[in-house]
This record gives sequence, C-alpha cells and structure tokens, in this order.
Amino acid sequence: MASEQHAFAYDPEKNYDEDIMAQQRQIEKEIAETQPLVSGLFTFDDIVEEYTSEDAVYRHKIEDLKTRYANMRKTRGDGNCFFRAFGFAFLESLIKDPTDYSRFLELVTKSKDELIALGFPQFTLEDFYDTFIDIVKQVKSPGTVEKLVETFNDQGLSDYFVVYLRLIVSGFLQKKEDEYIHFIDGERTVKQFCSQEVEPMGKESDHIHIVALTKALEVPIRVEYMDREGLTCNAFTFSASDTSDDSLVKPAVSLLYRPGHYDILYPL
Amino acid sequence: MTTPARRRLMRDFKRLQEDPPAGVSGAPSDNNIMLWNAVIFGPHDTPFEDGTFKLTIEFTEEYPNKPPTVRFISKMFHPNVYADGSICLDILQNRWSPTYDVSAILTSIQSLLHDPNPNSPANNEAAQLYRENRREYEKKVAAIVQESWNDDEEEGEEDEEGEEISVGRTKP
Repeated sequence: MASEQHAFAYDPEKNYDEDIMAQQRQIEKEIAETQPLVSGLFTFDDIVEEYTSEDAVYRHKIEDLKTRYANMRKTRGDGNCFFRAFGFAFLESLIKDPTDYSRFLELVTKSKDELIALGFPQFTLEDFYDTFIDIVKQVKSPGTVEKLVETFNDQGLSDYFVVYLRLIVSGFLQKKEDEYIHFIDGERTVKQFCSQEVEPMGKESDHIHIVALTKALEVPIRVEYMDREGLTCNAFTFSASDTSDDSLVKPAVSLLYRPGHYDILYPL
Repeated sequence: MTTPARRRLMRDFKRLQEDPPAGVSGAPSDNNIMLWNAVIFGPHDTPFEDGTFKLTIEFTEEYPNKPPTVRFISKMFHPNVYADGSICLDILQNRWSPTYDVSAILTSIQSLLHDPNPNSPANNEAAQLYRENRREYEKKVAAIVQESWNDDEEEGEEDEEGEEISVGRTKP
C-alpha cells in the first residue's frame, strides 16, 4: 500500500467519516490491549513512576494525595472512565458497607419507568436496564470485590452498565431542562446536548455530567483535581442535593482527575 | 458463543418481525448475523416514491455501543449518500446512541430520503440540484427509482418463492 501513497488530495465524493471511524477503532484497540477496564490496586509509589523526576509539580501532588488516600485503581482511557470509575467504586463501597444498598436499588429500579416516560425506547432501554440491575445485585450475591472486578472487566457487561448510567444522566438533564439549559454551550437544546455529549459511548464527561449523575442517584462524589496549578490537589465535593453543606458531606466515591481522565481513589 | 452484540441483534430481528415499521424491512444474511440485508421503500410524496432500495448493514462486536456501517447497494441519487453508497447521517456517526436498534436506523434513513440535508453534502451534484433545480433533481431520482426495480427483477427471477423478494438474502 505504501508505494501507492501520494500527496493527499481531497475527494469530495469520498466518505472520509468511515476512514476516521476506522482509525479511531484502531486507536481504541491499541488502548484496550494495554489498559484493563478497571485495574487492580496501585500504590502511589507505582504512580509516581509515571512522572519523571523533573516533573516536580505532579510528584509533589502525589505526595499530597498520600496524606489522604491509601491507594488507587486505574480505569481505561476510553472516554467512559468517569462513568466506569464511578460505577465500580460505588458498588465496591456498597459491598464494604451495604447501608445505602436498599435505597439505591429502589431508586434505580424506578428509573426504568421514568426513562420510558421521558421517551426513551422501551425495547432497547430494557436490555441495558436488565444488565445494569443484575450487576447492582451482585453487591449482595456474590458480594465480593473479586467478582465485581471480573464483571467490570467483561467488556459487554461493563459497557452496558456505563450505557445505563449515561441514560440516567441524559434523563435527569432532560427532566430538569429549564435548570440545565444555562450550562450548555453552543446553540443547543438539552436534548441535543444529551444526544451529542451524553448518550454516545466514549464521549468524555464534563462537570455537568458529574453534577447530574450525583444528583440523579443521590450519591455524593469527591474529585481530587491534579493539574499543574498550585502545589496540592484541589478537592471538590459534588453534593447529592442542593441544600447540603459540602463540608458535612461524606462522599461515597472518591476519584482522581488528571487532565482528561478519572481514576478511583481509596481514602485512608 | 453468543456475545452481547449477537444477542442484541437477535432481539432486534425479533422486534423487526413482530413490530415492523412501515416501508422498511431487514434481516440477517443466511449464515452471518453480523451482516444484514435491508430494503427501504421510497416514502410517499417524495421523488423516491415506489423505489425499492437495497442496503447492507454491517455490525461489529461493539454493537450496540458503536453504530453499524450502513450502505446502499441499489444505485442512489441523494445529497447525503456518497458514490459508494455510504450515508452521511449524524446518528450513524457522532450522534449514535446505544438505544437505537435496526428499526430506528432504517426509519432514520427513510426520513433522510424525505428530508435531505443539503448543508452536509455527500453528493455535490445532488445537493446542488436539490437546492437550485428541483425539477432536474426529481428527474435524476426518478431514474434511480426505475433502476431499483431492475434490481428486483434480476433477483426476482432467482427467487422461486416470490415473497419477500431480495429481503434477507445475500447478493448472488
């Protein structure tokens, strides 16, 4: 093929979208071969190795994390990392402390009819819902972290779980359209935003996705932001309701954000 | 082994049979559930009316998390269809939602025949005629409508059963 290559000439009759999608698939395949969907536990000493000794800001911030967190798990950088990290970390927290399990199961069980009422197609929604609920119920049976790791590394099951979380976020934003329209950039309706940025797999999560998921599921999340600014990580708590005071909220899930990516943190 | 994609495609097929949308049909090819043949009938009150347009839909194991590749096999003259039959439609690219199934894909393409989008042309001539010379556009479309019948006759001769001509079978 290489010998046939010549200077690129744009052909208006050719469908370049397919080439782009094929290339994207190739990149995704390479990432999939090197990164598990949800990894085993890493210590921060493993993580520090990722940064060269010259990268003082990041090394300093990892030392800062060590004062508050014991270790972490990595997730695959496939654009679904926020949803997958959240899903795994929250179910794992329920295995360790099932206090919130019944409330959560009841809430997500009700979500199916709510989403159908919002206009999601019942036929396909049920497919994702059934898999989602089966995975949630693994918290009680078998109720082991090992099994949960296995489930979240089964691409089919893991992705179905992510799809359903995306649908919950989409449904929540559409239900609260009047409130969230102000947070959407471009001349887009909430529904358009959801079909472009929330529902398609692989679309990265922004602040608005996290706010919506936290409130829809009533699960508070803490995110440690690790970027080049300052010397310590900035922690931000997404509270599950508008009234609660951030300083009083005990987050159920802690995530580490490094530009473009979310991993799971385990507090000391 | 059944995979999530294959399981879901069986469900899609079942639904398409039990609750078929008007004017479209589709089925997996004889020995490959990942490759479907489909027919879209030209919608009423459009220049495509009475046409029977054949397509192939090729799925990967990532379905329904990723869209399939859809292509017209019948000759097409439409602002959003490329010369090779591939289709420029947002829901088949960056606006794909895993909640879409085969029915939704086919009905979306059907409505694209109804409402072309000349702002993102895949066929410049068709887009230009659609905007500037609707009469000529309709003439060109009428020609491919006629051609779509010829396809049927060719395959119809090989089809002894007569029913569901050309649906659900691979090209000879």
